[in-house]
Amino acid sequence: MPDAIAILASFTQPLEIGTNPASTLWMFPLLASIAVIYKATKLRAMLWKIFIRESILLFAVLSGFMILAAVVLNLLVWMITS
Amino acid sequence: MDLQKKADHLLWLCTVALAAWAVPGAGHFLILERKRAVVIFLTITLTFAAGLWVGSIGVIDSVSGWAWYLAQMMASPAVGILAHITQSQKFISLGRPADIGQIYTSVAGLMNLLCIINAVYLAYTGRGEQIGQENA
Repeated sequence: MPDAIAILASFTQPLEIGTNPASTLWMFPLLASIAVIYKATKLRAMLWKIFIRESILLFAVLSGFMILAAVVLNLLVWMITS
Repeated sequence: MDLQKKADHLLWLCTVALAAWAVPGAGHFLILERKRAVVIFLTITLTFAAGLWVGSIGVIDSVSGWAWYLAQMMASPAVGILAHITQSQKFISLGRPADIGQIYTSVAGLMNLLCIINAVYLAYTGRGEQIGQENA
């Protein structure tokens, strides 16, 4: 019972997350969720092997695009400010 | 007779939509897409719970964050109960955790909206039941 209360209590206080580059890593679990849900709604037949493969592939594409966008934007800022 | 059939079909679609809204994945469960239902339930529930864990239940703010709240409400009507609890202003969430929490919970809600539409579409075309039987 005290464990359950402790778990519930953890939802009443925000985590401590600083405004630093590492905080952007929080996007990856969200990208994984988006990839899984998108594939769960789009695949015609829900076969586990295909579903997992397609979800991982979409997650990799989304992550790659986000990393590329971050690199390009950082380069742009660096070129403007230097 | 045709009218009766159409009315029954419309009632069925509404039932699927309401079930999918009440519990993520329940719409797919009703149309015999059990595997999809489990995946949708686990993913949306975990994403929403992660958002609440990071930003606390203070991220559900129906007054000053009403636009986020609209998206969050798509996850489940149970969000309304949380909004009622947080109206006391005892649970304040600010800064980066609030941002991340709001984004997670709102995206979970919008993903459930996608699943509601998908479940209703599958029920409308009758495809869901066919695929569900194929996979069973």
